[in-house]
Amino acid sequence: MNTAFKENWLHKINPSLKLLTISFLFVFAITIHHFNFMITFTLSVSILFIFCTGHPYKHILLFLLPFLLIFLSTAASMILFGKGETTLYKWGILHITEESLYRGLHLGLRALTFAMMGLLFALTTKPVQLFYSLMQQLKLQPKYAYSFMAAIRLIPIMIEELQTIRDAHKVRGVQTQKGMNSLLKSIKSLPIPLLSQSIRRAFRIAVAMESKRFNSSNERTFYYQVGFSHYDLLFIGYFILSISLAYLFAINFPFFPVSDVRY
Amino acid sequence: MFKGLKLTDILVTIVISIGFGILYKIWGPLYYAVKPLGLHLDQLIYGMWFIAATVAFLIIRKPGIALLAEIAASSGEFLMGSEFGLEVLFYGLVQGLFAELVLMAFRYKRFDLLVVSIAGISSCIGSLILDFYKGYVGDLSTWNLILYIGFRFIGSILFTGVLAVAIVKALEATGVTKLVRSSSQKDHEALNQ
Repeated sequence: MNTAFKENWLHKINPSLKLLTISFLFVFAITIHHFNFMITFTLSVSILFIFCTGHPYKHILLFLLPFLLIFLSTAASMILFGKGETTLYKWGILHITEESLYRGLHLGLRALTFAMMGLLFALTTKPVQLFYSLMQQLKLQPKYAYSFMAAIRLIPIMIEELQTIRDAHKVRGVQTQKGMNSLLKSIKSLPIPLLSQSIRRAFRIAVAMESKRFNSSNERTFYYQVGFSHYDLLFIGYFILSISLAYLFAINFPFFPVSDVRY
Repeated sequence: MFKGLKLTDILVTIVISIGFGILYKIWGPLYYAVKPLGLHLDQLIYGMWFIAATVAFLIIRKPGIALLAEIAASSGEFLMGSEFGLEVLFYGLVQGLFAELVLMAFRYKRFDLLVVSIAGISSCIGSLILDFYKGYVGDLSTWNLILYIGFRFIGSILFTGVLAVAIVKALEATGVTKLVRSSSQKDHEALNQ
């Protein structure tokens, strides 16, 4: 993601460690069934997301907008159609119960934390650093890592090419008509040239890389050395501390009189 | 599983998949726009998220490609800042693995609509298993749950099966698939018959 931002401590964390920590938190969040704990857990993630990514608050607010939609739409179907006993509202097939309301909100918060953790990672990690770190710390085979890096470099070229194909259509007077048939045609006329060109280009790059022995699995040296620093401890420490506090707070001062949201 | 893959196979797979990753990223807002309509109409378009595995496999036709493709597509989506966050990586891994298992069960020798549709259904089952843990979908009322699962199955056959085969047929017509399907592989097939 390319927007103007300040580099701060979140950018200096070892990318592999960051990925593993966030993966662990993902699994951990799935094991949270306690609604009040989910609320405080969301808070502890959102503090880091809102204040520590180094991006301007205007951008952060913009990123938050689609998150609201995610929250609402994830929560809605469980609230409206979920199982439960204490009826709050019933109209036709809609059946809102107290249990399904809490469960829906719980799911909404869960989706929100996943979105924030994912974006937190994407906003503070450079892909090149990530793949160098994966090779050095997690022993990912170089042929995969370099392929990923080459492919990521191709994204802007693909987007440019998409525009070229569109322009070419316009120049040659391709008319978009209404109806199912022309819709199918337009579905075919964009991705196929895009895909075939990408495959050709990928093939050429791969031949060049193979001739430069990129696939050799012998000892290799790296231009970038990615290591660890005390920021890594700070990152893990933040989560251990804030999640413990979140848990204690949720248990001692519950916001809502519910515990387990499962049916 | 990944032993027989050369750099060319890996790079072509990843490039195709990152392309699909961009599509996946665009698909997210579409999915959330359809979702509030209720009645799980969104599940009909869910199958698009399994397509990288089958398209890449149909193009390159080697073991491990489906899994690699789905992982690459989901990491592309993730690094572009997906609304779903980290969950896409886990879903991608599981969906790719489930598709790969079906292709493996057919010993990577069949490349027709039936096999890729089964692979799509298998990915679908993988995603449903995760949904049961993550989304409590088991706690939906029964009629609603059936609608949810039914729509997702239909969607995965349409996108992962039918659409993927159509795309690869069109690509075969352009001739690019000859670049990546090695001749030695054809010789192997001729020997096996």
